[in-house]
Amino acid sequence: MSKMNKTIDPAVNYLLPLAKKAGLETAWDRYEAMQPQCGFGELGICCRICWKGPCRIDPFGNGPQRGVCGADAHTIVARNLSRMIVAGAAAHSEHGRHVALTLLEVGEGHAPAYQIKDEQKLRDIAEKLNLSPAGKDIKQVAKEVALASLEDFSRQKHSIPCNWAKETMSAERVDKLAKLGVMPHNIDAVITEIMGRTHVGCDADAVNVLLGGLKGALADYTGMYLSTELSDVLFGTPEPVVTAANLGVLKKDAVNIAVHGHNPLLSEIICDVALKMNEEAKKAGAKEGINIVGICCTGNEVMMRRGIPLATNYLSQELAIITGAVDAMVVDVQCIMPAITSLAECFHTQVITTMRENKITGATHIEFHEDSAFDSAKKIVEVAIDAFKRRDNRKVNIPDYKQTAIAGFSAEAIMAALSKVNAKDPLKPLIDNIVNGNIQGIALFAGCNNPQVTQDNNFITIAKELAKNNVLMLATGCGAGAFAKNGLMTQEATEAYAGDSLKAVLTAIGKAAGFNGPLPLVLHMGSCVDNTRAVKVAVAVADNLGVDLDKLPVVASAPEAMAEKAVAIGTWAVALGLPTHIGIVPQIMGSSVVAEFLTEKAKDLLGGYFIVETDPEKAADQLFTAIKERRKGLGI
Amino acid sequence: MVRVKENFFIYADPRKCLGCKNCELACAIAHADCDLQTAVTKGLQLQPRNLVVQVDDMVMPIQCRQCEDAPCALACPTGAIYQEDGFVKINEGNCIGCKVCTMVCPFGAISITKDINDNSNYRTKKAKARKCDLCFSRIQDNNEVSCACVEACPTKAIMLVDYESYRKKLIEERGKELVRAHTKTKV
Ligand code: SF4
Ligand code: SF4
Ligand code: SF4
Ligand code: SF4
Repeated sequence: MSKMNKTIDPAVNYLLPLAKKAGLETAWDRYEAMQPQCGFGELGICCRICWKGPCRIDPFGNGPQRGVCGADAHTIVARNLSRMIVAGAAAHSEHGRHVALTLLEVGEGHAPAYQIKDEQKLRDIAEKLNLSPAGKDIKQVAKEVALASLEDFSRQKHSIPCNWAKETMSAERVDKLAKLGVMPHNIDAVITEIMGRTHVGCDADAVNVLLGGLKGALADYTGMYLSTELSDVLFGTPEPVVTAANLGVLKKDAVNIAVHGHNPLLSEIICDVALKMNEEAKKAGAKEGINIVGICCTGNEVMMRRGIPLATNYLSQELAIITGAVDAMVVDVQCIMPAITSLAECFHTQVITTMRENKITGATHIEFHEDSAFDSAKKIVEVAIDAFKRRDNRKVNIPDYKQTAIAGFSAEAIMAALSKVNAKDPLKPLIDNIVNGNIQGIALFAGCNNPQVTQDNNFITIAKELAKNNVLMLATGCGAGAFAKNGLMTQEATEAYAGDSLKAVLTAIGKAAGFNGPLPLVLHMGSCVDNTRAVKVAVAVADNLGVDLDKLPVVASAPEAMAEKAVAIGTWAVALGLPTHIGIVPQIMGSSVVAEFLTEKAKDLLGGYFIVETDPEKAADQLFTAIKERRKGLGI
Repeated sequence: MVRVKENFFIYADPRKCLGCKNCELACAIAHADCDLQTAVTKGLQLQPRNLVVQVDDMVMPIQCRQCEDAPCALACPTGAIYQEDGFVKINEGNCIGCKVCTMVCPFGAISITKDINDNSNYRTKKAKARKCDLCFSRIQDNNEVSCACVEACPTKAIMLVDYESYRKKLIEERGKELVRAHTKTKV
């Protein structure tokens, strides 16, 4: 560890020595103190599902080969993995439910802070969900869409698949998944089912448990899909916007409010309210008023919809506080390190939690409810302004690093750009270029940082490698954060790193779409809940070609994965038919059955499969090989 | 006369040991020349030289005590086990698996195990003696003894003890106690 670089992010490299000098601890310090980590856990062969345990299996065959109940390594690994998947599904679908319920309240007129910002999209969704919206009042459509979405959380008939799963995949895929018995009918029920079947003494056949995991992953997909689409309805569908990323976006002379977490429901309102309270901030002495910056996926949400700059991604969230310039860090759900409150104690920074079910000791809790969102947002901004007055400017260290980033490539925005090239058939230029090889394939980067690898390095290394090979790249979540901070979401990056034919295509589309140059090297598709945006594009391409997703030269990669949500996303990517790379050794290697299923057998069953490779250069090779294999399969 | 330093040894504190067996894993890996994931995926047989044992409500790892007058070294008919530079070393290549060392070790610290990965053409069973060698094979150019198990223990229940400094500390502590007792009686 100590020999490995902690990060390639210059802002983090600037701040870490200062933190050390000041005796401030970060995730990297805690990671080092944690070494070595338990080998049994690493291999996934410890079971803590019942209180006869913990049981652990000796991977070398000398000690116990079965837990007290008799579960072997395969059962234990499969159960642990499936539980991780549904924990991810639960996190995403709670987010989705929250958005759907808000849309329902908007439809019923109970949530004054919210509007329907994209009526057309709402009507398109209603169409997709077979709700015949023509001629209906928009509020009525909102209600019907919300109820149809909520039905995906409540349907009791197993034979009817979730609306949002069935209507967003190719028919062939739906059929294949249904035959395997992994098509979800009800997100909540599937999560419950998997928790139940992995309870002590239940499903013990590793492969069957894994099929349960696949179903859980597809429930995750469903929750994510509706979450993104309904957020677009409420807050607007992202369009390309030029902004900036990295800690240099903090301003010395402004009240800096960092919005952190995942859910746009509150952060959007904070942005609205903050705009109106600029004067109060100035009165408090902040010459530049209020400066909102984003962290993690709340950051991605407001970045792509409002052009609010992104301060940093997951692993360096603590460094935002260490700059001494953040007056309030407002957090909602997911990927918030509990460490931030003890760090904040050393500064004037106020950490504000906003969700009843997500509190952190030491934080100020200002609870947020949809019906009174304005009030909560106002209170939060006031707390931030008040904290600003107590800021100790001697402790302020804003690293002078930021990069331009072009964000906001929703599926709709990509189609819009393509339609500037061919209005009648927008997908044609993309497909033509894939067929003629100008674009070799598409890679989607998703999720997370992990201190087990040098922060952002895997993302950047793989992307540069694939760019050379003319692969079109999309990114979400903290992966998108990595590219944004390190300058790969710029037109200059396209000039510098794209292979000739990719450069030509990105330039042609970029120029036609009014970018005055090429599209950025990596297209920012949103937060980690937004991975389904990429699926939308892929399914459109597949439908247009008349093939299923598992035939397309499309791959996915989570090279620095960490969260249970990432496990869920990776698994549904495999279920949808994509070769999916992970750059962190997953906690499954203690079972040959599970490892083989996910990396090999899944290929026959689903077309998709996992590629585990910790070396980014080799990973890029393998991803490109998978793309070439697919091209060969299509005869192109 | 050349002064010979007494042997280092591994000291375990049963009050701190949680029985996670991380030390066993680390030892096995240290002696296998590959990482955990590879070993497991390739199905390699790994052999820890230590063993975490449970005695009543205490748990602790047992490994070679590096005896000064090592019974195993005295008994070994082939000289596979021998004393050198403050280590009780083992040359597994010379071991014929006769198990005499196992019988004479007062701590049960030696195990005789078969190496299923060894494909050489033996006429007999392939078992060899395995014992803690204080990770002698890992000693780098800087001459630092760095034991894999000690590094791996999450609760720092085990440590490598240099007998002489250990004894010095012990004497200092006892000395302090005596001094304190003395000053108290004076008052
Ligand atoms: S690593 Fe430490 S705690 Fe774990 S078993 Fe070994 S001695 Fe005990
Ligand atoms: S088993 Fe091997 S090490 Fe032990 S006494 Fe016999 S020859 Fe020596
Ligand atoms: S193996 Fe046993 S007898 Fe030999 S030196 Fe170690 S403790 Fe002593
Ligand atoms: S010191 Fe080394 S050889 Fe001895 S038990 Fe520990 S890890 Fe094994």
